[in-house]
Amino acid sequence: MTQFTENRLLQVLRAPVVSEKSTFVAEKNEQIVFRVSTDATKAEIAAAIELLFKVKVEAVQVVNVKGKVKRSGRFTGRRASWKKAYISLVAGQEIDLSAAQ
Amino acid sequence: MQAQLETLSGLERRLSFSVPRDQIASKVNARLKSLSKTAKIDGFRPGKAPMSIVSQQYGFRVQEEVLGETVERSFADAVQEQKLSVAGYPRFEPKDSAEDADFQFAATFEVYPEVTVGDLAGVEVEKPTLEISDAEIDKTVDILRRQRTRYERITTPAEAENRVIIDFKGTIDGEPFEGGSAENYAFVLGKGQMLPEFEAGITGMKEDEVKNVEVNFPADYHGKDVAGKTATFEITVKNVAQAQLPEVDAEFAKTLGIADGDIAKMREEVKANLEREVRFRLKARAKESVMSALIDASPVELPKSLVGLEIGRLAESAQADLKQRGIDPKLVPFSPQMFEAQAKRRVHLGLVLAEVVKANGLEAKPEQVKAIIEDLAQNYEDPTDVVQWYYEKRERLAGPESMALEDNVVDFVQSKGKTVEKPVSFEELMGQQQQA
Repeated sequence: MTQFTENRLLQVLRAPVVSEKSTFVAEKNEQIVFRVSTDATKAEIAAAIELLFKVKVEAVQVVNVKGKVKRSGRFTGRRASWKKAYISLVAGQEIDLSAAQ
Repeated sequence: MQAQLETLSGLERRLSFSVPRDQIASKVNARLKSLSKTAKIDGFRPGKAPMSIVSQQYGFRVQEEVLGETVERSFADAVQEQKLSVAGYPRFEPKDSAEDADFQFAATFEVYPEVTVGDLAGVEVEKPTLEISDAEIDKTVDILRRQRTRYERITTPAEAENRVIIDFKGTIDGEPFEGGSAENYAFVLGKGQMLPEFEAGITGMKEDEVKNVEVNFPADYHGKDVAGKTATFEITVKNVAQAQLPEVDAEFAKTLGIADGDIAKMREEVKANLEREVRFRLKARAKESVMSALIDASPVELPKSLVGLEIGRLAESAQADLKQRGIDPKLVPFSPQMFEAQAKRRVHLGLVLAEVVKANGLEAKPEQVKAIIEDLAQNYEDPTDVVQWYYEKRERLAGPESMALEDNVVDFVQSKGKTVEKPVSFEELMGQQQQA
């Protein structure tokens, strides 16, 4: 885990995703969902989580979320795309988001 | 839910409450549950957010709400149960309570004092009286005449009471100064409107005369620039006029609104007006005396909170009054002490009056109210309109009603106590400011 600088790791995690789906997977697959910076790798995300929350990460899955196309009159625009990470922790560990915030 | 009542001092009471925690917690939960059915939280469809997130979002607020309600309800219950009459607003304070212990709080408040109206039989009540005779009418007519003074031009030297119209140019050491000159300035001699030296200089001058007058401004003169200096005024008298009081004749009567100029009729009219005015003021005086007597006869311990409220009300109306006169209320320093005596009196009176009225059944009766309104309407041009205006809205009757009530109390006290008839002079009565 030492191949990443702490500075870089602090910029990887953007915010927890709080939604119906994220609470659903938290129960079903014991995963937690984060919005992460678009250029983050799975390894970086795992390292960042371990650094910030002092837990062990089992696996990370990522997905690129395309920004929605929005139009205002005759102009179309696109919201920024972002990256979402589903993180599974080693069995028995958990992150208390309300305390970490 | 237990409430314990203690008497702190005099009228002060404290109720201590203790409510079990789980009672509150279950209420909070029930409310959160019903809230979660409809709560709209970002990231969830309405009503689909899980309990944990709802309570994270709303928990604190709901808890506060439930606590507030519990406090209020248990206070109201306890008050009803123990038959307390609370004066003013209670002050709530939470007592330090640990997480698992019962939720405890105390309410401190004042109760209405027991009002016992003193024995009115021995009370002396002043009842001022005044008969209107020809002398009073003469005096009033005189005032009316003076209000219609006309000035007539004369060519003899000006004396006191004459009105003069002058131009003047004032200089100090040959230099004109601000406010030192005017044209066509009219004033009446001998009324102290101008500096004495200035007036003395003009006395004895005739129309079209020009004269230089030296005037020493007093050291404490309001104009700072000229105070203590000597100025020379070049005065041109343009017109001297003598005051002419109108004769009491048909012409005069007509100006007072008597169409056919009948003097006897005019005196009748003046008398009627006077009588109404005098009756009104006599009544106000009698009332004043009765109220003072009531207060003196019934000492009551006044609840501080009521006095405080009254002070607030008085201060507010005083400020509103200032605002209406175009003065910024912030410029005038108000201190609660200014109103304390008045507020105490009013609270005292209110308590005693309510008791007297209740004990003796002196409520205002509809026909009394009607009579008062009709009486009030007499002062207006179109009495029926005024009467109608009063009956249009319920609130508008409040004024006449309280007047009727006060009348009843006055009559009652006067019939019980010793009434001392006391003649007052016309001047004393009319000069006095209206109080009520």
